[in-house]
Amino acid sequence: MAVTKDIVGKKLDRFDFTVERGKIKEFCLAINEKNPIYFDVEEAKKAGYSDVPAPPTFPTVIMFWGYPKIWNDMAELGIDLSKILHLKEEYTYHKILYPGKVYAQSEISDVKVGRAEIVTFKTTIYDEKNDPILSAEMAIFIRKD
Amino acid sequence: MAKIEFDKVEVGQTLPPLDVPVIEHANLVRYAGASGDFNPIHNDPDFARKAGLDGTISHGMYVMAQVGRLCTSWAEQKDIAYFGVTFKAMTKLGEKLTVVGTIKKKFEKDGKKTVTVLVEAKNEAGEVKAGGDLVVNAV
Repeated sequence: MAVTKDIVGKKLDRFDFTVERGKIKEFCLAINEKNPIYFDVEEAKKAGYSDVPAPPTFPTVIMFWGYPKIWNDMAELGIDLSKILHLKEEYTYHKILYPGKVYAQSEISDVKVGRAEIVTFKTTIYDEKNDPILSAEMAIFIRKD
Repeated sequence: MAKIEFDKVEVGQTLPPLDVPVIEHANLVRYAGASGDFNPIHNDPDFARKAGLDGTISHGMYVMAQVGRLCTSWAEQKDIAYFGVTFKAMTKLGEKLTVVGTIKKKFEKDGKKTVTVLVEAKNEAGEVKAGGDLVVNAV
C-alpha cells in the first residue's frame, strides 16, 4: 500500500493536552538542557516569563503524548511505519508555550508521490481562548527498499 | 543568553558552538519516554535491523533538540519566532555531534528587527545531520 494525493487536506482528530511543569523538566533532562528557566518558576520569572516556558522542540511531546493514535492514523493512510524517516520539522511561534491546557489539530498539508514519497502534517496548537500558540510542520520520507 | 542586539551582530558571525555528548542507546530510550516517540527503529535494535538499518538510529527530533539548545543558549526563548530543520543524514549510536550557527541575514521591516541564523548539527567528519534556520526578534 502506498500513499496517494487523495489524503491531502485530511484532518486528524482535534485533541487536548495539558502541558505540565514536570513534563517540561523531564523533556529538558532528556535533551541535556540545563537552563534553570525551564526547571524553576522563580528563575523563569526573573528572566521575564510568567511560568516555566517549554523549550523550542517541546511541541513534539504534545504531538506524540497527546495523540498516540498518530501511528494508527499513519498506517491507515498507507504509510509503512518501518520505512519512515523524519525529513523536516518546522515551528513558527506566535506565543510562549507555558504549562496549561492546549488544543491541537493536525492535517495533511502535502503529499509527494513517485520516486520519493513525502507526507507533510501541519499542526496548530491553540490556547484555551483558541488563539494559536504555534504551528508545526512535520514532513516524513518513506524509504523504498 | 540575552536580547539579540541588532546593531551588534553581523552577517557571517558565528555563534559559540555546542558540543553534544556522544549519542548512546540510553539517551534514545530516555528521549523516547520524554517525547512519546516510541517508533521502534529508535529503541529496538532487532526491529531496526529487520527494517534494513544497521541498528537503532537517533530520533531526528533528539538531534533537533540539540540544535535547539544552541538556539536557546544564544537567544532568549521568548524571542524565537521560527525554528526549522531538514534532516539530512541518519545519526547512529556512538556519533559525536557539534552544533554550529552562522548569522545569515538581518533585516528591519516596519520597525521590527529580525536576525536569521543558519544552524547545523554535524558529526566529527563534518557530515551535516540536520540543518535549518533560526529566526529571532532582535532589539
